[in-house]
Amino acid sequence: MMSLAHFLMKFRERIRARYEEYLVITIETLASAIIGFSIGALVLYILGFNPAKIYFILFSKGLSNPNYLLSKSTPIMLTGLAFAIPMLAGVFNIGGEGQLYIGALISLIVVTSTHNPALGILAGMVAGAALGTFKAVLKVYRGVNEVIAAIMLNWVMYFLILYLLTEKLYNPQIPHESIPVPEDARLGKIPTPIGDIRLIFFIAVIASLIIYYILYYTNIGYMLRVAGLSPKTAKYAGFNPNLAIIYSMALGGAMAGLGGSLLLIGYVYSIDTTMSTLFGLGFTGIGVALLGRNNPIGIIFSAIFFSMLIIGGEMIELLAGAPPELADVLTGVIVIALALPYMYRMLISYMRIRRLIKK
Amino acid sequence: MIEDIISLTSSTLIYMVPLVLAGVGEIITERSGVVNIGLEGIFVLSSFTATIVTFITGNPYLGLFSGTIIGLLAGVLHGVVSVYLRGNQIIAGVGFNTLAYGISIMGLVTIWKQHGASPSVSKIPMVSLKIREGLTFTISPLSIAAILIAIGTWYWLFKTTSGLKLRACGEDPKSAEAMGVNVFRTRFYATVVGGILTGLGGAYLTVGWIGQFTRHISAGRGFIALANVAFSNWNPLMAIVGGMIFGFFDVLSIYLPIKIQLIYPEVKITTLAYLFKTIPYIGTLAVVSLIIGRARVPRALGKPYIKE
Repeated sequence: MMSLAHFLMKFRERIRARYEEYLVITIETLASAIIGFSIGALVLYILGFNPAKIYFILFSKGLSNPNYLLSKSTPIMLTGLAFAIPMLAGVFNIGGEGQLYIGALISLIVVTSTHNPALGILAGMVAGAALGTFKAVLKVYRGVNEVIAAIMLNWVMYFLILYLLTEKLYNPQIPHESIPVPEDARLGKIPTPIGDIRLIFFIAVIASLIIYYILYYTNIGYMLRVAGLSPKTAKYAGFNPNLAIIYSMALGGAMAGLGGSLLLIGYVYSIDTTMSTLFGLGFTGIGVALLGRNNPIGIIFSAIFFSMLIIGGEMIELLAGAPPELADVLTGVIVIALALPYMYRMLISYMRIRRLIKK
Repeated sequence: MIEDIISLTSSTLIYMVPLVLAGVGEIITERSGVVNIGLEGIFVLSSFTATIVTFITGNPYLGLFSGTIIGLLAGVLHGVVSVYLRGNQIIAGVGFNTLAYGISIMGLVTIWKQHGASPSVSKIPMVSLKIREGLTFTISPLSIAAILIAIGTWYWLFKTTSGLKLRACGEDPKSAEAMGVNVFRTRFYATVVGGILTGLGGAYLTVGWIGQFTRHISAGRGFIALANVAFSNWNPLMAIVGGMIFGFFDVLSIYLPIKIQLIYPEVKITTLAYLFKTIPYIGTLAVVSLIIGRARVPRALGKPYIKE
């Protein structure tokens, strides 16, 4: 009991000391969501839909099934981490998309030949990490912009997997799908008070917590964050900023790869030959990471929020005939709005000055 | 043999247009110190708008014009975000790409009830030069326009005072300000001009070349244009060369499977074609990683200017 009181006191002190920062964060998060939904409403209105009705469906249906919500949040939580970890080290990893593809592909191959889900997941992580490391090496040793490299590799992976799915890995019974994950290697659900929840969600949450621990309580994490804030300081402190880039991209890639393999082994069990099961999850991860403020704990909640947007998008298509890409519009606007911390700071100081003048 | 060379050359000149236009536009933007990685989004949105306008009016030139207007608006948005509001330029660009994709696909689905592609629209006619009987050299008028724009931009950036001022904003904004250059305004206009040229390239994708809007119409082309900027060492004349190289990779990805099919009719080309589609991306990555060591980035690139 004493320790709880002590903890609460510490918590209050922390909030008081960093009051301004938390205020900015809150305003920023809320404002970006509000701006996002307003612009989304405008687009809907222009296209001839009733925004109020669409948003009602989006929220009510998006949250109605906890298992679905949490299952869908799993891959984007991990691609969110794939963006956030390198971002803390000062690198933009927008290649979570390709890393997720390769993770899913490699774990499909491994799991169908070994029937061992753990091995499949491990292989997917290694594959994602390898792709991330490759990009980091190109950046560090060849000066290739990581954004360009990431997009090129995303599309290479996209077409490579399309080729493998249609040529080698297709299911003879259902030609538009890949061979399925064997029954005995699938991850199932576990019972909880809010119904049966897929195991993969808990694995993703544990992964987020481990990443949180690595980033904030280990030497490697400290090195990454210092290198991200100031490469020069990192050099003075004896860290190699290039090594920080490589570590962060490897760790990020591993998370996106894990996202791909968990999605495959624990949820969809096969990939369709148009790749619609995988497409876009890496890019949504960028929004997840930014809304979660690149904090692994924040990312858990922000992934659930974006999962609601995705599910809501599917539901508005079914119920109102509105295109599911509304989720992309909302994500895009929210991301742009989150790129503007200076604007919110200006807004706060403006309001403060006005209050002073009134006094 | 000679037919192959002629058709590869003319295809390259047709394929390079968006890469050159967006590349030159982005060179102007980046020389002033602003990065806009939303080129992909501008491509998607302006090609979509050009398709709608041409579909309604039947006039591809109006479509081309509407695409440049979209590019202008996108440039204004990115200019306000990155110059005046000091936003994170990379994140704003990523967000714009997602937004543009979302709006375009929503429009595609709502207007035409199609998930993959729009109906065909009329195109700007190609110019044909007859070399001899059965052998013509086809080229888009915009191929010539793109090359002229690149040359004009080179002259402006390197041979005029206003070009020097713009470059100063990207190298050392404080000194530029001391010289009496308005850094904010210069950067803002540079971003808008970059947007306009990219919008022109995006509109060309549909009304100048492909003739319809498809879901993956750009397919990373905006980022290949960004690679072109780095390849060109921020020099518009080299952007023409880069556009030809990267455009040629794109041509190969279509041309090789067709040729192989002609020579070996027994090969199952439909699935193999996916592998050839990776050529532009692998080629771009290879060229960029082999050549980029000597590139010199504008020193203040991507850093918001803060006036004291």
